[in-house]
Amino acid sequence: MTVEPFTLPIARPGPTMFERFAPGAWRVFIGLVIVAVLMIFIAPVAILIVTSIRPASGIYYIWRGTEFTLQNYVEVLQQPQILHAMFNSFVMATLATVVSLGVTVGSGYMLSRFTGRIQKTWFATIYVFRTVPYISFVLPLYLVTTNLRIYDTYLGLLLPHIAVHVCFFSWLMKGFFDSINPSMEHAALIDGCTRWGAFRRVALPSAMPGIAALSILSWLWTWNEFLFALILTGQRTPMITSTMAQFVTETGTEWNLMSATAVLAMLPALLVTIFGQKYVIRGLRM
Amino acid sequence: MLLLVAPAALVLVCFQIIPIFIGMNASFRDWSLVNPAKTWIGLKHYRDVLSDPVFLYTVLPNTFMLMVSSVVLSLASGLGLALLLNKPFFGRPVVRTVILLPLTVAPVITATMIRWSFNDQFGVITNLLSVLGFPEIGWLSDKWPSFSLIILTDVWIWAPWFTIIILAALQGLPREPFEAAQIDASGKWRTFTHITLPMLKPVIIVCVLIRSIDAFRTFDQVWILTGGGPARETEVFSVYAYVEAFVHLDYGKGAAAAGLGALIMLVVGIGLYKLVNRLMEVSR
Amino acid sequence: MAEVILKSVGKAYGSHPVVHDVSLTIADNEFVVLVGPSGCGKSTTLRMVAGLESISSGTIQIGNKVVNDLPPKDRDIAMVFQNYALYQHMTVYDNLAFGLRNRRVDEATIKKEVEHATNILGLAPLLSRKPFQLSGGQQQRVALGRCIVRHPQVFLFDEPLSNLDAKLRAQMRIELKALRERVATTSIYVTHDQVEAMTLGDRVVVMKDGYIQQVGTPLDIYNRPKNRFVASFMGSPAMNFINVDLIEEGGRTRAVAKDLSIAVPERQVASLSGHGNRSVILGIRPEHIHLGAPAEDLGTTFRGELTVTEQLGSELVVGTKVADTLIMASRIAPETELKLHEHAPFWVDPKAIHFFDSKTEAAIR
Ligand SMILES: Nc1ncnc2c1ncn2[C@@H]1O[C@H](COP(=O)(O)OP(=O)(O)OP(=O)(O)O)[C@@H](O)[C@H]1O
Ligand SMILES: [Mg+2]
Repeated sequence: MTVEPFTLPIARPGPTMFERFAPGAWRVFIGLVIVAVLMIFIAPVAILIVTSIRPASGIYYIWRGTEFTLQNYVEVLQQPQILHAMFNSFVMATLATVVSLGVTVGSGYMLSRFTGRIQKTWFATIYVFRTVPYISFVLPLYLVTTNLRIYDTYLGLLLPHIAVHVCFFSWLMKGFFDSINPSMEHAALIDGCTRWGAFRRVALPSAMPGIAALSILSWLWTWNEFLFALILTGQRTPMITSTMAQFVTETGTEWNLMSATAVLAMLPALLVTIFGQKYVIRGLRM
Repeated sequence: MLLLVAPAALVLVCFQIIPIFIGMNASFRDWSLVNPAKTWIGLKHYRDVLSDPVFLYTVLPNTFMLMVSSVVLSLASGLGLALLLNKPFFGRPVVRTVILLPLTVAPVITATMIRWSFNDQFGVITNLLSVLGFPEIGWLSDKWPSFSLIILTDVWIWAPWFTIIILAALQGLPREPFEAAQIDASGKWRTFTHITLPMLKPVIIVCVLIRSIDAFRTFDQVWILTGGGPARETEVFSVYAYVEAFVHLDYGKGAAAAGLGALIMLVVGIGLYKLVNRLMEVSR
Repeated sequence: MAEVILKSVGKAYGSHPVVHDVSLTIADNEFVVLVGPSGCGKSTTLRMVAGLESISSGTIQIGNKVVNDLPPKDRDIAMVFQNYALYQHMTVYDNLAFGLRNRRVDEATIKKEVEHATNILGLAPLLSRKPFQLSGGQQQRVALGRCIVRHPQVFLFDEPLSNLDAKLRAQMRIELKALRERVATTSIYVTHDQVEAMTLGDRVVVMKDGYIQQVGTPLDIYNRPKNRFVASFMGSPAMNFINVDLIEEGGRTRAVAKDLSIAVPERQVASLSGHGNRSVILGIRPEHIHLGAPAEDLGTTFRGELTVTEQLGSELVVGTKVADTLIMASRIAPETELKLHEHAPFWVDPKAIHFFDSKTEAAIR
């Protein structure tokens, strides 16, 4: 069978709408979009920061006037409750990160390297429990922690935090180990390492970049967490988020002090965004 | 080998699985926080919740509306942003850094910022809008403006997440199909719809799955922005359960609502999972 | 169908030049193979013709039209990529039809074209499959089909066979050859496999470090390499090179090294005379070194200790250490009984002796 050769109509889509409209208009448009994107993501943060350095009298029209002051920060930091809350959040974030990573690294490794009934069940379990809305187990946890007399203590908040991290982190850890070629460990086994040695000396160091990224995110997530803090802590062990929320929802008028508190609570996030962005991006891409 | 999962499993069982059963137990009792008589009353709380017009006609629709609109809008804007960031331009590193802010700042703080920016009298954005001649909107005093603000906050937080993941996927795509498309005279839009999107599909589907599950339990933003108000009109499922248990001090009813939510999510989650697997099959 | 003319084409990435001053005229319906080691700029050159890479200097003409500033879609070319670059989410039919649909060809014509191409390539039963359900060879056929349906002026191939295993590669090479008969189109084919270059090309272009080394028919390149690089690149096992001194002895010029003295054939004496007593490089292909003694005295015999033997079944390849160089001799009858480390006599076919300048490495003819 032969087909007569034919000439193809040459596709020549005309200039785009923008090029026809005005040459270079497309680039201007993209430029405007970029500026708009920057504005959208910076503006709320900037407004908050500006508010926090305006005197109480100057917060209502923050774009007018040029008085700036650090008085708000001084005032906030003089309130023992806020310092206490920040300290608590810091301790909690650090503890939760260390313990959750420690607990999940093994389970992630197992999910990645072995197959069998236990692994299948475990994987299904963590998938299912990842879908459970937090409120559905935090509400009863209130009862559990009260009964165990650990309500409003570090332990009472730490354990639930770890419990939610277990599902998600095991999943992520599995991903880290999946991306490491197991033949390295096999080589280590042949070279005389025990299974445990192969894990500790070969697999773990290779997974370290991912684990580092995850630890930073985990720290931030715990620091930022609100629902648990709201339900499981009270006056004794306040967290920074719940303390702030109280400010906003209950008193809700001293915006200069509130902004200063919020900026303080935001500091770790700002630091990580600026200095640890590599880790944030790596952590989120998993 | 069991030893490897044992610690993780133990914590999970004690602090997630057992509480869920305790919660179920509580939901069958008259377990009011002020009056802990704890009488077994069967399915009464469930009947209460399911016949509560607030739950049926406000909370459920709100929850799903938030879920769908937040996921759709953050996907769309996140995808757009990823495409923008995939091309080099002056200042790209700055944009890349700035979009990490929403992902690192606590939702509580984000909601506070938005609430302050949209303050009825003194909010910078409220004032800006009125300078630009927009009619005045009671951002936090009417249902739909408040609800849009909640959605907006959610999109602000999550669009960058889609961006980062889709951007990584975009940069990992092989170059050749695009070159082949160029030779095949495929226009920009056609390349996007016929080559780029289909290749991104697996990633997008997984993102949508994860985001949908998480969007269902949104609490922080709603609580800070509106507290469920005005008059419970912007309540979503998590807020409803919290309000019933700790504001109306009807713990059993709150637990019943929370249990129903978990049940819904289990069904939705499994459904989505099945759907994802199906879509992945087709898109391969 | 068209002529492709490259005039002093150059390419630099930033300040880093990778292709230099490439000039080449490819006749209508000619099949030209660009060959060279990895990183020598073959793909870059091809991609400049395709329009996937901008041209830093010079001009490229396709069918009398300078295409420097035309986007790929307007150059009327089709390309086969090393990893096929099929659209993974489309069926084979849609893959073939995509380029035509973009050009607003009506579906009836598309159907006809696709049928035509699939008949040529034997793809008919696979039309509704997706690429991941195909074997490597089948995928490569689809990639070819995508070109055929378009009836472009020029086919471009970038190492289309290098992702296939050896056996399939040989088979596809033969199919490509047959395809050339049925679909005559100007073609540029990039490969680093000299066998493909030899078997497929009407003409072969050997490149190194961004420069063209030699252009010619496969036999021309094989028999008359312009320099040491071309000589060593084409042919397997590679040509033997020995540093020798030219010495007058009894009225004959001889090329002499330790353990070796070869009479220079008369026709080459003149061109070598310019080199006086300087040392030059002697080049002999393995298949031109024979075991044993020649029927008549040619003055090209030498003896050497056998240090390597490779039994290939169809032939025996041996290596011998002469003048501190390992000299390979091939096409020795496989049943020949040889012992390692024994000394054996060899002779060289005087018609196939090459000389290269030891400084410039250019062939001395
Ligand atoms: N985008 C680029 N930026 C900088 N240098 C490049 C780029 N692409 C290719 N090069 C360089 O250009 C040179 C030629 O590359 P090219 O791909 O043309 O080689 P090739 O001959 O096709 O090799 P291979 O057989 O490995 O495909 C290489 O040295 C390569 O490192
Ligand atoms: Mg190449």
